[in-house]
Amino acid sequence: MSIKIIKKGLSDRIVDQGRFGFQDLGIQPSGPMDFLSAQLANIILGNALNHPVFELHFPASTFEFQEPMHICISGANFVPVINEKSIALNTPIQVYPQDQLSFLQPLEGRSAYMAFKGELDENKKWLNSYTSFQTTLKKEDHFSIKPVSLCDGLVNSVEHDLVQQVQKTLFNEHEIRFIPGPAWNDLTPVSIQVLMHQSFTIDAKSNRMGFLLEGTPIHLTEPKQYVSSAVTMGTLQLLPNGQIIVLMADHQTIGGYANLGQIILVDLPRLAQLNNHSHFKLSITNVQTAHQLYRSIQSWFIH
Amino acid sequence: MVSLGMQSLGNQFHIHLLGDHAILIKLSKGLNGGIDRDLLALAAFIKEQKIQGIKDIILAYDNLTLVYDILDFDSNPYLYVNQLVCNFIAEASNHIALNNASRLIEVPVCYDPSLGIDLEAAAKIANCNIEALIQEHTAHIYTVYCLGFLPGFAYMGDVPKKIQLPRHPQPRATVVAGSVGIAGKQTGIYPMDSPGGWQIIGRTPLKIFDTIKLSLFKAGDQVKFNPIDLALFHELNNQENVY
Repeated sequence: MSIKIIKKGLSDRIVDQGRFGFQDLGIQPSGPMDFLSAQLANIILGNALNHPVFELHFPASTFEFQEPMHICISGANFVPVINEKSIALNTPIQVYPQDQLSFLQPLEGRSAYMAFKGELDENKKWLNSYTSFQTTLKKEDHFSIKPVSLCDGLVNSVEHDLVQQVQKTLFNEHEIRFIPGPAWNDLTPVSIQVLMHQSFTIDAKSNRMGFLLEGTPIHLTEPKQYVSSAVTMGTLQLLPNGQIIVLMADHQTIGGYANLGQIILVDLPRLAQLNNHSHFKLSITNVQTAHQLYRSIQSWFIH
Repeated sequence: MVSLGMQSLGNQFHIHLLGDHAILIKLSKGLNGGIDRDLLALAAFIKEQKIQGIKDIILAYDNLTLVYDILDFDSNPYLYVNQLVCNFIAEASNHIALNNASRLIEVPVCYDPSLGIDLEAAAKIANCNIEALIQEHTAHIYTVYCLGFLPGFAYMGDVPKKIQLPRHPQPRATVVAGSVGIAGKQTGIYPMDSPGGWQIIGRTPLKIFDTIKLSLFKAGDQVKFNPIDLALFHELNNQENVY
């Protein structure tokens, strides 16, 4: 036993970067809401980008460590404390047996990520990494982790700039960009104007499956039945009541609602960090730009 | 043997970007009873190539979606997939024997009102007796159009008009794993306990999904339901019946 939950959080779990290759069987890849913060926490500890991490939502779980190891917390700032002493985000933190990690208040962001330096016992691979089959973490859950020591000099090699770049990407007021989808041309001109100009509010019913948007209802030129097809994280679906839902990490694999477009990968972490009742605007981009931005973001992590 | 009557690409498939990491290939002629064999063959063709960077190949009704890794795609994804489809057409006309004979999967179902909890009400809606409803449901061979909603949940069709039933206006909080339901033109089996709004007419003792073998069904499969009695249901249900 290496990490134990001593107090249950609202909806915490272990995620990796998602398991693809099973969507044809109805199994969603899951993965983190904010892939960028999960990657950042891992790279700071010298882990593979895809290493499992704890994804936390406020109020978050309280953890107890049973072995000395290094951890790193990135993403949302829930004011983490170890034995009531505040610790820094985006920095390797040494923890010792009996140390307790808790989170005091949701200062900024929606999802926090705790990476750990060590190998997770893979016997529970399905339960641990496929969030599709995982229930949220509860009291007394424990995770066997074989600690691995931090490479010397590693901390220095992670540039301060990288943290700054990720923070700037996550927390800003920019528009969320999307690429129009198959049903875009079925919208009324008025609805297109609404989509392009209005400020959407994230509804309180939003969760890992999807973010429901409050705003002026959007309409198709005429009612239309669509043949179901695959959807992705970031798909903007138009519900029959005129509301839009943005599919997030635990989306179903197939959708039958009007597919208005997809939010581009680089803007998903920023959207994922928005709390209920916050606002954002949409804007259109194209696939070339989206690819260029994604490549540039991923190049930050290559040394 | 499959004969592919594809004259030109434009006539057969539409290619549509789905954001920055997926692309949709859609039959231009739409859905026409069952899953189009050309589409099944195209999915098999793409799978066989094990293309680096294609993370998911998802077949549904009249369309196929490829999910890709941006870092592995230097080229224009639209042109890339266009070329892929052209290669498929060339390959297919060279040696026609694309092996895509669909499997027939037989599923034992116990249509006892104690398990098929909506059976009696459903017969009333369909304006027939229970026996006639069971007879209709078991007489047809269904096509798996896609999997979704839950891991391993297969949407099958088409249910004969006579026994097409509306969803419950208010979904049940829990439908037991193995429950066989009807919703409109579709029939399906709940792979695990879950909320659900379909009309439940029976239950199968087969475990249609587990985390090791994954799903019993895949898109394109043919499915036939065979009625069994309650005694056999319990006998099979008590076995560690994996398929």
